[in-house]
Amino acid sequence: MPDWVEPVARYILQEGLPGTLRVSAAAVVGSALIGILFGTLMTIRFLPLQALIRLYVEVFRGLPILVTVFIAFFGLPSVSTRLEFDPLTAASIALVLWGSAQVAEATRGAVQSIPREQHEAASALGFGWGGRHSFVILPQALRRLLPPFVSLLVNIIQNSTLAGVIGGLEILEAGERQSERLTAIPPSGIGEIHAAEVFGGVAVLFFLISFPLTRLAAVLEKRLV
Amino acid sequence: MLLASYDLWAFVSANWEELLEALGNTLKVSAFGVAGAFAIGVVLGAARAHRIPVLSQLTAVYVEVVRNTPILVQIFMIFYALPQFGILLNQFTVAWLSVMIWGGAFNSENFRAGFQAVSYRYREAGYALGFGRFSTFLNVTLPIGGRIALPSSINTYISVVKNTSLMYVIGYSELTTTALNISNQSLETLEALTVLAVVYLALVWTLSVSIRLLEARLALPESR
Repeated sequence: MPDWVEPVARYILQEGLPGTLRVSAAAVVGSALIGILFGTLMTIRFLPLQALIRLYVEVFRGLPILVTVFIAFFGLPSVSTRLEFDPLTAASIALVLWGSAQVAEATRGAVQSIPREQHEAASALGFGWGGRHSFVILPQALRRLLPPFVSLLVNIIQNSTLAGVIGGLEILEAGERQSERLTAIPPSGIGEIHAAEVFGGVAVLFFLISFPLTRLAAVLEKRLV
Repeated sequence: MLLASYDLWAFVSANWEELLEALGNTLKVSAFGVAGAFAIGVVLGAARAHRIPVLSQLTAVYVEVVRNTPILVQIFMIFYALPQFGILLNQFTVAWLSVMIWGGAFNSENFRAGFQAVSYRYREAGYALGFGRFSTFLNVTLPIGGRIALPSSINTYISVVKNTSLMYVIGYSELTTTALNISNQSLETLEALTVLAVVYLALVWTLSVSIRLLEARLALPESR
């Protein structure tokens, strides 16, 4: 293997990978929490609330995620200086807005698919709305949410590359910086173009992360539905 | 603070010509991407559904590669890596080519599922009437399976339109790139973002509403 490969690979794995994982983890957890809450609230027959959440879902599912990333990174600071975030955080916020909209829609469907009798039985046992949902309805709905959750995880990991567009250091940005560095004259670079190898490596890395997860989603889909 | 100077009207009236041209570019790339994704989807979806040797396996690899790598990486491969092999493409070509390749992969899955959902009895009836394999596909499988695949394929087209915004990274002057470039000079960030959000939502929402209408019209008679 040529000499330039090792430092490039090390930079991508040591500097880029943690960024990707940080953004993805924050985005998945945030999307799940907000999405499940909004999705459950959407099943309440109270029109203003339903309309408000519906608007939230349609807006953030409709916008290109890159535009949401720009809103979080460039737009929020112009509203208030307290809303200034570093690129990785801004990207996480954008992915939570997008992901929670996806999860809310899926949760609404899953909660509504739980038969009426389950609600009635829980009520008969003396559960209020909160208890009924957290102990009886949601545990059953979560089972049906598992396959879409795994697909969401794959989508979030892939879309975490958008953090690189605003300068956040994740896998793709790390690859871009390295491929640019290699073209520089020595000592910093080697004066050669290796974009194909570097981005090919980045693609392989993402494939190795995503492929097992998409297979898992397919298996879960068959088993649980 | 900065909110006090928010003036959407001034921003739009000062830049509407440039923004309109950019929207035109977005639509042009989208149209190429959607048309290509449709053609790829039908051909490769048919190859998958009918298990045509070699082409079917190649399609499976193509679909898995595209689905499991970020589209940004695909754009970078086409824009930065292909020139290494002497293939230099301009930004417009990279733009429509990359959304077309991406949409085509998802669409061949949509059409595969649609074609496979067509009952074998319908095809048998086609053969019994003396149609060959190809004309049975054209006259029986495609009209029925294509309609079954319609909702999912239309979602793919909507994603193709949204993904054209990613051409910001290669500097192609579509809507996102243009709006951000203007705002970089004039510091009217919120105005630019408002324009982007409004235009994209109008595009996407119009598409999804017209789709529901189209879907109702094209629905198979038995499911009506």
